[in-house]
Amino acid sequence: MPAPLLELRQITKSFGGARALRGVDFDLRAGEIHALLGENGAGKSTLIKVITGAHAADAGTLALEGAPLRHHQPASAHAAGIACIYQQPALFPDLTVAENIALRLESGSPWRRVDWRDRHAQASRWLTRLGAHIDPGTEAGELSMPEQQLVEIACALGAGARVLLMDEPTASLTPREQEKLFSLIRDLRQTGVGIIYISHRLEEIFALADRVTVLRDGASVGTRSISDVTESELIRMMVGRDLTSAPAPAEARPGGAVLVLRGVGCSATGVRDVSLELRAGEVFGVAGLVGAGRTELARVLFGLTPADAGEILLDGREVSIRSPRQAMALGLAYVPEDRRRHGAILELPVSHNLTLASHARVFPRGWLRPQAERELARRFITQLSVRCSSPEETTGALSGGNQQKIALARWLATCPRVLLLDEPTQGVDVGAKSEIHGLIRDLTRQGIAVLLISSDLSEILALSDRIGVMRGGTLPAILPGRSTAAEVMAAALGQEEKRAP
Amino acid sequence: MPSHRQRPAAFLLSHEMLLLYVVIAEWIFFYLAGTGVNRRGVVIGFGTLDRQFDVLRHSCEIGLLALALTPVILTAGIDLSVGSLLGLCAVMFGVFWHDAGLPLVVAALLTLGVGALGGGLNATLIAGLRLPPLIVTLGTYSLYRGLAEAITRGSVTYTDFPPAFLFLGQERWLGLPTQAWVFLGFATVLWLLIHRTTLGRSCRAIGFAPEGACFAGLPVGRHLATFYVIAGSISAVAALVYTARLGQAKADAGNGYELFAITAVVLGGTSIFGGTGSVTGTLLGVAAIAILKNGLACLPAVMRLNAAEEMAGLMTGALLLLALTAGAVSRIWASFRRPPAAGVQPSPSPPA
Amino acid sequence: MKRHARELAVTGALAVLLLALAIFAPGFYQPQPLLALATREAPVLLVACGMTVVMIARQIDISVGSLFSVCSVGAGLLAAGNCPFALVVAAAIAMGAVGGALNGLLVAVLGLPAIVVTLATMVALRQGLNLVRQGRFVDLPEGLQWFGLGQTTGMVLLVGFALATVVGLALGLRHLAAGRHVYALGSDAEAARLAGIRPRLVTWLVFVFAGALTGLAAMLNVVQSPQVQPLAGLGLELKVIAAVVVGGVAVSGGRGTPWGTLSGLMLLACIAPALTHLRIEAHWEKAIQGAIILVAVLGDGLRRRRRAG
Repeated sequence: MPAPLLELRQITKSFGGARALRGVDFDLRAGEIHALLGENGAGKSTLIKVITGAHAADAGTLALEGAPLRHHQPASAHAAGIACIYQQPALFPDLTVAENIALRLESGSPWRRVDWRDRHAQASRWLTRLGAHIDPGTEAGELSMPEQQLVEIACALGAGARVLLMDEPTASLTPREQEKLFSLIRDLRQTGVGIIYISHRLEEIFALADRVTVLRDGASVGTRSISDVTESELIRMMVGRDLTSAPAPAEARPGGAVLVLRGVGCSATGVRDVSLELRAGEVFGVAGLVGAGRTELARVLFGLTPADAGEILLDGREVSIRSPRQAMALGLAYVPEDRRRHGAILELPVSHNLTLASHARVFPRGWLRPQAERELARRFITQLSVRCSSPEETTGALSGGNQQKIALARWLATCPRVLLLDEPTQGVDVGAKSEIHGLIRDLTRQGIAVLLISSDLSEILALSDRIGVMRGGTLPAILPGRSTAAEVMAAALGQEEKRAP
Repeated sequence: MPSHRQRPAAFLLSHEMLLLYVVIAEWIFFYLAGTGVNRRGVVIGFGTLDRQFDVLRHSCEIGLLALALTPVILTAGIDLSVGSLLGLCAVMFGVFWHDAGLPLVVAALLTLGVGALGGGLNATLIAGLRLPPLIVTLGTYSLYRGLAEAITRGSVTYTDFPPAFLFLGQERWLGLPTQAWVFLGFATVLWLLIHRTTLGRSCRAIGFAPEGACFAGLPVGRHLATFYVIAGSISAVAALVYTARLGQAKADAGNGYELFAITAVVLGGTSIFGGTGSVTGTLLGVAAIAILKNGLACLPAVMRLNAAEEMAGLMTGALLLLALTAGAVSRIWASFRRPPAAGVQPSPSPPA
Repeated sequence: MKRHARELAVTGALAVLLLALAIFAPGFYQPQPLLALATREAPVLLVACGMTVVMIARQIDISVGSLFSVCSVGAGLLAAGNCPFALVVAAAIAMGAVGGALNGLLVAVLGLPAIVVTLATMVALRQGLNLVRQGRFVDLPEGLQWFGLGQTTGMVLLVGFALATVVGLALGLRHLAAGRHVYALGSDAEAARLAGIRPRLVTWLVFVFAGALTGLAAMLNVVQSPQVQPLAGLGLELKVIAAVVVGGVAVSGGRGTPWGTLSGLMLLACIAPALTHLRIEAHWEKAIQGAIILVAVLGDGLRRRRRAG
């Protein structure tokens, strides 16, 4: 049997303390469509970036037609005939569509002449084959998200690549554009191209793929031929055990509604028509796939991207939240997803980070009070059992879990009534994770309303009193706390309509 | 990074202490090489008290601008317009006092208002409209100097200021040059502002991570605006001190001072990328530059090549490049040496 | 042509200015003074071309003025030492390229901000030159001025050469893959890396290119007079940056053309003579220049904001 087109052996990759890939094996044959499936954070995107050379693997080997790829870089991947459609279009906003396509398609001497008429014609040809009506002379920055996606696809298709990676290419396409894309992909398969296809839409995978590999927690769970598996089998492979909720929520006794959303939307970030009620002392879990609009919803509530539709009520009164300061004044707190960039300022000492959101409370006249600050820091360090040598230690020197605790404590210091938690345990070790879970339960006992966004289904199931599932910027389903992982996953994948009578 | 409880060895090797050693070494060198006795047996040159006070006088204006720039650079911003604004304020002071015939105090207060307005224009464009500080202040750098030239028609020089005003720049008060007290006063105020208030804390947070500061609910725009307005106002103070020292105000006042001020701040350990830095460092940076400039002028003719000014400029530029390079190299070095966090090291994978 | 809106706007402003001059001060339109104006601005145009490329790549170089002085004096000294003309030209270009390479090294390899690096080299070069030369002029040998040709011929030759450079650069940026790489780098450095461009190398080369053009510009300056003035490049950086920014090169990188720079420079260059012809005091020139920069940046910011919102 000939060597597979692309072969990955024991690929590992870590970011900081978190291991994103732990020894992944994967192979792609010429002329096949190989689907890659997994929950959020299972390592799909990291694997893609290792293949395209955007990330260097810590260990393991890549081989193309049996020849190992060393010092793998974007440039060498390009030269080797590996092309990729990233989930977030990586276009140059200031260049025209034709220029974007030309830049991505060609390698060779930088001093060669570029025939723009030819490039324009080529760009139009690819865009027409995709059924896209985009003028190649438009600047990429002026295009809408789906249009950018189409240009991105045209770039990859035009590259004449032998290995084509597609990371959720259909996320923002209309059904008609999707159909065109699928027939193009099938054409490419005929010509011997190997295609790695990532999608959360199971029906697409069954319609298109030859084989499917499921990733979970940075490792491959297995590779199956598509004719041998069923949807529910795949869901079980992705989720792992058949999780149901832990007994914890039983003791919850939620109070009245604190925060009520009625048809809230924000056109800039794609959040549409979200209605929910958040009660005092409950954990409202928000599940959904990457790009479903969960973080965007939290940002709307915290005033980072203010809502432009619907109404938000706090204690029954309509409020307008236009900035984080207004949100804070209303008793909202937001622990963001990206801890390193938004949650904590890593260069600052622990104590400074802890008081950053409550300057007015801790330092009423604007003068720093080191004594008061240190006491407050000590209190939270003890309460959250943060492991650090002193309150003066630089936050960046702590482990991920302890950094996350600092990000949390900063907002607890503001004495919030509503706590928005966005992926509170992402990249956190197991011990810190269970401590944070315990803390969340404590907070609800004190009557704080918690909105918990998480990609970790077991976390959602273990903590939530109710579970909202988001899809495409909307919140179509609110499930009881005692749902199964498969039910939540099915709702997130958009399968529940079929099940309903 | 100013850690609060350092070990003694780390403290002695901190950026501020290293700079202090440089300043002391500079001083000793110029004291030894630049002091002499003239034919009548009188001590001349760097070692005299008058010279020492000259050093102090000369460092005040650039020192004030450096103080003004410290919080701005701490927020990862920059203000190239301070030197030009100094010129505009000096000219406006002349206009207020001489042309409009206003009382000295009123003229001085109005001048401060001009400085605040100049800073306010920068603030509006940078903090309000989120335009890049570099190019905005490059524009106002040209605009303010141009206005000063237009107002004076390129030639008018305001002189004949009353002794009460010149006292600020040419006399001594309580044993020190008067303007030194002004400088020390502002240094204290800015030290308190940056190291002892929440505003100073916020400017570090903004410098390290503007988005992170926004996510912590800090009013980033309002704080940024404050710092640019403060910078403008202090430029006006520097303009008054400058005018009082020279006894004249014309359009080229403070030409090129922004460079010396930026150099002093960066030399003082404030990172041009924002976040790290201290007022003490800035003061030491100013001292290093002022002593260099004056000391070179005191060296015997053979050594100074008859061009103390140029030599000082050349060495300031070289010093800035050196400080920047040292900072960058140590940053790169640190990132190489930092032990990988737990779990980063690739586990020895079993052969497949 | 929305894409070239800025170039069109500047050309429009230039047309309005020229029209106003035609109506109110027809004395402006005389061939000899106009040719003299164009000749004076020819070296500036070359430096502006280099700056255009630097700023498209989202960098800045404010040391060009000092570098210009150093190259002028260096070339002058070589010519005074009776070096062959070709060697003088090559040396001027090489001096400029070395200066640019030094800046580029500090920016591309050490990751230092270009503004501060070039601020430092600006002062170091200027003061170093003053230190060595003490402000002395360099007397050039006979026959170097206007290449030994007549004055008018020499002027036409210089202006023609500068314009040819603009055309060449515009074609190169548009039709060579390398030109597109510069735009890509300035537009989004990470996307450029993913597309297989080497950001550091391109950044470095951009500085070298601008330095070399500055050296060449210094040559165009040297042949204009019988002496080399050591302060020739004083304030040049501001004029050049103003022309480039006004001409539509975005400070945020990724957009702009040499054509825009050309019209931006023509607009700014016409201000001073226009002021005298329109009987406005010439002292306003610098203030007007500053105001024009601010208006241009403001326009950029509003455009970006509109796109984002």
